[in-house]
Parts: sequence; structure tokens; C-alpha cells
Amino acid sequence: MNPAPQANAADASGAGIRAAPVAKRRAQTLRRARLRQRELAVLAVLGFLGLFMLARLLALQPYLDSTWRAEAGDVVELVTSPLSPLKGLGGAHLERITGRDGASLLADANLLQRSPRWSIDDATRQSQLDSQRRLSTLLEQGAVTLHFVGGQQVVVEPRPRGMAGVGALFWLLGAAALALGLVAATVLISHPHWRNLPYALIGLCQGANLLAIGIESLPGLGLPQAYAQHGLIARTAFDLCSAAAMVHLSTLQPLRLPSGRWLAAFTWGICAVLVALAARQALPQAWWWTQAGMLGCGVVTLLLMTWSYRLEPNPFALLMRRLAAAATATLLLLCTAVAVASWQGGVAEGDAALSSVIWYLFLSTLILLLPMFSRVQPLMRELAMLAGTSTVATSLDLLFMSAFSVGAFASLSLSVFLALAVYAATRRWLLQPMSGQHVPGAERMFERLYRVLREVEARPRDSAELLTRLLRDLFEPLEVRTLDRPSARSRVLGDGSALLVPLPTIDADQEHGSDGSIVLRFAERGTRMFSRDDARLTDRVVEQLRRAVAYDKAVERGRSEERARIAQDLHDDIGARLLTLMYKAQSPEMEDYIRHTLKDLKTLTRGLASSDQRLSHATAEWKADIGQRLAAAQIELSWTFIFDRDIVLSVVQWSALTRVLRELISNAIQHSCATHLEISAALEDGRLRLSLADDGIGRNPQAWSHGLGLGGVRKRVKLLGGDVQWRENGRSGIVCTVLIPDLGPRH
Amino acid sequence: MAVKVLIVEDNPVARSFLCRVVRESFSDVIAITEAGDLETARKQISLTGGAQGMHGVDPFKLLLVDLELPDGNGMELLSTLAHYPATKIVTTLYSDDDHLFPALQCGADGYLLKEDRFEVLVEELQKIVRGQPPLSPAIARRLLTHFRPGGTGEAAPSDSGFSSAGAFQSSRPVPIEKPLDHERLTPRESEVLTYLSKGFTIKEIASLMGIKWFTVNDHIKSIYKKLNVSSRAEAAVLASKQGLV
Repeated sequence: MNPAPQANAADASGAGIRAAPVAKRRAQTLRRARLRQRELAVLAVLGFLGLFMLARLLALQPYLDSTWRAEAGDVVELVTSPLSPLKGLGGAHLERITGRDGASLLADANLLQRSPRWSIDDATRQSQLDSQRRLSTLLEQGAVTLHFVGGQQVVVEPRPRGMAGVGALFWLLGAAALALGLVAATVLISHPHWRNLPYALIGLCQGANLLAIGIESLPGLGLPQAYAQHGLIARTAFDLCSAAAMVHLSTLQPLRLPSGRWLAAFTWGICAVLVALAARQALPQAWWWTQAGMLGCGVVTLLLMTWSYRLEPNPFALLMRRLAAAATATLLLLCTAVAVASWQGGVAEGDAALSSVIWYLFLSTLILLLPMFSRVQPLMRELAMLAGTSTVATSLDLLFMSAFSVGAFASLSLSVFLALAVYAATRRWLLQPMSGQHVPGAERMFERLYRVLREVEARPRDSAELLTRLLRDLFEPLEVRTLDRPSARSRVLGDGSALLVPLPTIDADQEHGSDGSIVLRFAERGTRMFSRDDARLTDRVVEQLRRAVAYDKAVERGRSEERARIAQDLHDDIGARLLTLMYKAQSPEMEDYIRHTLKDLKTLTRGLASSDQRLSHATAEWKADIGQRLAAAQIELSWTFIFDRDIVLSVVQWSALTRVLRELISNAIQHSCATHLEISAALEDGRLRLSLADDGIGRNPQAWSHGLGLGGVRKRVKLLGGDVQWRENGRSGIVCTVLIPDLGPRH
Repeated sequence: MAVKVLIVEDNPVARSFLCRVVRESFSDVIAITEAGDLETARKQISLTGGAQGMHGVDPFKLLLVDLELPDGNGMELLSTLAHYPATKIVTTLYSDDDHLFPALQCGADGYLLKEDRFEVLVEELQKIVRGQPPLSPAIARRLLTHFRPGGTGEAAPSDSGFSSAGAFQSSRPVPIEKPLDHERLTPRESEVLTYLSKGFTIKEIASLMGIKWFTVNDHIKSIYKKLNVSSRAEAAVLASKQGLV
């Protein structure tokens, strides 16, 4: 039923699957799903045909179209009948029925009691069985004579009941049986694994049980011969078989229990022996044995689930345990009620049978929901809860009426009240492993989401890790794993023990894709199952993260576009004006000053427009530029630049260094009257040492007035966290040393 | 007969400045035609025999084209003058490779930075006309990327040996077609470009490679030509792919 999570994980990380291209895999999955749908459709049609054939068979059986009532004192009273000989006999009491060959059947309550399965006493069972068997024999022989109390004799010809006589209840139960069978088939088809066989078996047995109840519910007098013969043993077998299959199932799912095989074999053996003995009528107190077998299996299932949860805290085990507890408890209550009612007497046998029918319906809804508990709509779950509540109510009703001799009305209202109380008390407890939104309160969740979103905006590269952290916070899973396999959207895996979440792509070019997926297993430290709501929630979260990343990128793009625009405007407008001003300059000094300004403007705009630069690139340009300027000023340049690592300069660093160098070179050209300038720089471990040594006329740098130029140099070096010094260079000239201790990428 | 020069420049002050530069640069008699925008420039060119310059009329010998003009970009004019028999020079305020490289691709024989000193401009202009075009490190880097096998796009500029070129090439798919000659640089040319991209001067390169200054210059000229040709071929391929031709 539930594709075991282990198997899933193995699939997902399997090399074969990863190797196949995504599109191909998707096509394969699609094809398989379509095939599955077709198989299911065929099965549904076949199932319906089978049901129809059964109805047809029943329709051919002869019966007496009449309604009877068992009155106190073992009296059978005719309520009404559309048959012409019986018209006007409403209220008459039937004494006996005789057949064509003179065989006679005494009329008592057993005549109306069609299901010996829920009769406790061996003798009662036997007589019920006998009277049903004899009745159907009589009816098959042809016309029967009904002897009423008071000497009236009516000859009635049994007729086939026809399709119309099958009755609505049969179709209803038949549909339920069909649904059970189809769900079992679906599970087997979608996850063809022998581990799912016990579940399919349970589904089929319960479906057959419902069908049997349907046959028993046929209106009128008379059952098919074959059913009257074998109905009891078949129903016993179905019950015990599904109980044993339940134990078997719980040794396999959700975890394969050690030495579970032996336990399962043992259970199967006991149940088989019970069924065999019952079939040979060699089992005294057969009802007690059967019920004990079923209850025992329920308790064993409970224990096994507890054990399984200890071994691996899979919330599915928790859920199964609770469901098994609910089913076993209601069964126990029902058995007690039926037993008490039978001892005390005074309660019509039909009531006991009715409450058992409701229990079967309850069990059927549980079985139907089991494979898809994490996925079904809350409505279905409520339906199951309602069925359970009804079982409790009818059982209690039965108990009160018989054991405490409470009046019918008082008993009914009391039992409904109590059942509702039980429902209210257990509902939360039962559903907690599935849906109980134990996700931290909305406020806390919002806060976490907000925090993570902010972090993602700040560090989009870490979004995968941040998402994992957020999911960990939200669901507190026991296990988090990442898979290479991409997935389109979040989904609950198998039985709800795991949740698959796609990792958002960091690359904004790929709008909706994922590089990999995260698998969360065992939510809330293994006490809760993932639901579809969780998948939806995570999808929203992933979407938000994606948006945050995209937003961040858009902001960055907008920012750089804006900067580029400002740079362009500055360059074009101010640059052109400065150029005109420069051409019109009155003196060479003025011209040089404006040229310098223009170059600074260009550095500024370039810094605005471009992004980070490598040091090696920047050095090459500095060298070419300085070489050209010094050549024009007829100063010889010797240049050495050594760096141990090619770092990436930020825009700020690049523009500061460029302008410092330009200023120092300008200074040298204008004031030093040097013939040689030696520039040497070294970058070691992020420590930059730059020195310019000229052989000019400059002396005594302490006495210099630091005008705009040198002040600017100081300011920019300080901005880079460094220091600049001027001192005399040997006999002639000046050495300027710039020391930046940390030219890391942090500035 | 006077040497005809066309100066396309919208700023009148800059235009007269450039006129002075041109007159200073050449001893020949100079006939300067000035144009303030692309339209006037086109008219002037068609008066002297059209864009191909094939009518035997006396064409311009030297074109100075500003990039930023009121009615468009100077590159538009340059790209229509691919076969015009003149020395085409871009004069601009933009010194970065993002602006200059496309201009060189359009067939410019060199570029002048307008903010340079008068003497510097004269010298540079003379050099270009003599066939000694400038090549800045940034443009050299762009050229290296442009001519790298398989990569005319904006791949990471390989430069100073920090990224090992061998490994880089082996990871690329090997092109099946052999690249045409105009799409490849000779090893010597690549070497020259690499040095230029590291900021070495022609003189330094000559001594580093053990060749003559002129030889280095010839390599640079050849690179210019190849860039022009390869860009045009690229444009043709692109055009035929888009069904424009």
C-alpha cells in the first residue's frame, strides 16, 4: 500500500534513474501512469460486471415477496405482502410452512435471522442455519403452504425475485465492496510488491464480507441455497483471514520487523486451524473463538506497531497503531454488547446483527483510507470517524438496552451522547499523526520565513542551505537528505512519512527548475505525517525564496543600470563641457588642471559603470598610461610590480589606487624636474607596498604644503586603510611610499 | 594637389582644435572639410566618389570621426566606409575598451583621445598615419579573447597566465571546421598581444622577444587588419544567418 520510504530513497538515488534524461524519465512515468489507469479501468469494468452477474444470479432465486416481523415470544408476524393470496392477512402469525413433499418447517424467529455469524450460542446458530437451509430447499421445490395461527392455510407460489427485488441495500453494499476491491487493486498495480499483498487481501476479504451482508439484506423470505449452506463459514473465514493479514501487514509495513515472518506464519496457522475446525463444525463455542481470534490479532497489531515505532519513528506506524486501537476497541465493545444482549435476552437478534454491520462499515472506511491517509480530503476522514462513532453508539445502545434494561429512547439518546463524547475525545488523538498542524504558530513561522528571506536576499548563493534550515525549523524532521534528482514541485512521498521539496535554482535564467531536491523524513521527530497541505506550504515557501533571489537580482541589475546611466550622463555632458573648457584654457597650467579633472571624471564614471577588476588588468593599464605620460614629459620610467596572487579589486579600490597613482605622477611631472622615476610595487598576503622614487629637485617633504593634490592622495590611501609617506631619496629626489596593510576583497 | 581631410565632430571648439592638430601634423598642403554630423559627412563623402571611393574622384585621405554625434554614432559611418581608401581615425573622449573595440572592429585604423595634450595628439596622429596605431592593454585583452579559437564572445579574458590556457582550450569543444586564416593570429602576433595586454611598450616587447621595433609594429598593424576582416566576415555570417543577405 504505502511504497516503503526506504524503497523510495533507494530509487531516487539509484544511478540508473539519475543517468536517464529528465524528459525521458518523465515520459516513462507518464506512460506508466496511463497504463496503470487503463488497467484500473478494465478492473473496474470487470468488477462491476461481476457484481451485476451476482445480482442476476440472486434475481433468479425463488422467494416469497413479503415483509415479516419477529414478535416477542418467538412469533413471526406478517407485516405486509404484495402477493395476492396473502392480501388481507397483515398481522397474522405464521405457524409453519410446508412444502410440496409434505416437509414442514416450524416458524420461529430463526426464520427471519439470516446471519448466524453474530449469534453467540452454538445451538442457536445451528437452528438458524437449519431453518434457513430448509426454507430455501422448500422454496426451490415450488409452491409452499403457509399455515397461520388460527387454521388459515395459504398456498403461495415462490417466484424469482427479479432484478427489482434485489433491493437498494444490496447495491449500496456491493458498491462499497467494489470500492474496497478497487483500492486494493490500485495499491497492487501502482506498487507491485509482495509486501502490499496483505493489504490487498484485507481489502478483498472485507469487500467479500460486505457482499455477504448485502446478500443477507435481500428483502423477502428465502435466501439462495448455496449461501444458506456456506454463508456462515465464509464470513468466519473472511473475518479471520483479514485479521491474520492485518498482523502480517504490520510485520512488513512501514518497517520490516525482524523475525516478523515467523510471527505472521504463526498467526496465519492459528487462523487457518480455527477456520478449518469451524468448517467441520468441530469447534465448540465457535463465535467466541472467532471473536477471540480477531481481537487477538488486533492486539498483536497494536504491539507490533509500537515495536516498529520504537525501531524507527515513522509517523505512519503511529497512525496505524491508533487506527488499530480504534478498530479493536470498537470490536471489543461490540462483542461485549452482543454477548451481554444475548445473555440477558429481550433484545431482538436483528439489533445485534445491525450493530455488527456498522462495525464492518467502519472497518471498511479505515481500510479504504489507510493507503491515502495523508492525501485524502478531511471529509473522508470525518466520514471514517463518523462510522466509528456510529459503531460505538449502536454498541452502547445494545448494551444499555440489554444489560441495564433502560428504555429504548433513553438508551438511544444516552448512547448517542456517549458516542459523541468518545468521538470528541479521540478525534484529536487519532488524527494527530496526520494533520495536526503542529507547524509553529503563524506568527513564529512568519518571522522565520521573513528572516530566511532576508538572508537569501543577502546571500543568494546559500539559498539551498537556508531553505533546508527553514524546512528543518518548520517540520522538525528526523532526517534531511539532498538528492541530485530534480523535481517540479513538492510532494508527499508514499504514506506521508517523507516530503520531497525541490531546491530552487540559483540561476535566474532558469525560471522554474531545480538542481536537486531535499527529502525530509518523519516530521515532528516522527510523530506526524506529511500532508498535502505541507507540500503546498513548502511550495509556497520555495516560490517565495525564488522570488527573493529574483528580486535581489533585479535590484542589482537596476542598480547597475542606474549607475551606468549616471556615468553616461556625467561623461557625456560634463566631459564635453570640460573638454571645451580645456581647449579654451588661457594658460597651460589651467589646461593641465582641467585635463586632470577630466581624467578624474573618467575614472569616476568608469568606476560607476564597471564592476570589479583584476589587479593584473589594472596594473597593465596603469603601466601603459603612466608610461605614456612620462614619455611625453621625457621622464624615464622603470616599473616593477610583483604580486603573489591576482586579487580582484573592488571598484572603490580600483578607483582610489588609480587616482592616487595619477596624482603622484602628476606631481612628479610638474614639480620634480626628474629624469627618472622608479615605481615598484609588491603585493604579498594582501599587503600592498607601493613606492615612487624620483631623482628630481624635491627636498624636505615635511615642509610641503599639502594642497588639493597631496591631500587627496592621503585621503584616498586612508580610505583603503593604508598610510602614505614622503621622504628624501638619497642625494636627490623624493621617495613616496604607500602602504596598504590589507588589500583584501572586503573593502 | 592638397591632401583632403574630413573631420566629423559636433563640438566646434574641438573641431578647430583637431584642425590645428591635423595642420601641425603634416607638412603637405591640407584641405580640411568639416562636418558637424553624420549627414553632412555622408554628403561630403558622396561628393568625392561615394563610400567605395571608386570613381576616380579625388577622395579624402584622412578621416577623423567622433563617436558621439548628434544624429548617431560615428561607427555607423565607419562601417559603411569599409573599402574607402583613407586612413580612418576615431577621435573620442571614451578611452575604455568597451567603446573603442567596436570602433576598431568597424574598420578604424587607430584612435585619438581628445583630452590628450596637443603635442601628444600630433605625435599619435602622425604615428597612425605612418602605420603605428596605438593598442591599449584593455584592447589587447579584448583582441586575445576575440581571436581565441572557438570564442569570439565575451569569455573570461585570459591574460597573465593565471588561468592556464592549455587547460582552458582542452575543455572547449574542438571546432570541426578549420578556422580561416583571417580568424587566427600567428603565434608571434598572439605573443605581442599578450605582452601588450600586460602593459608592456613596443620597445620593451621588442627587446623581450628579441625582434626589431618595426617588426612588433608590423604585428600590431596585422592584428588591426585581421580584426577588421574577421569582424566583417563575422557580420556577413551573422547577416546570412539572419537572412539579411
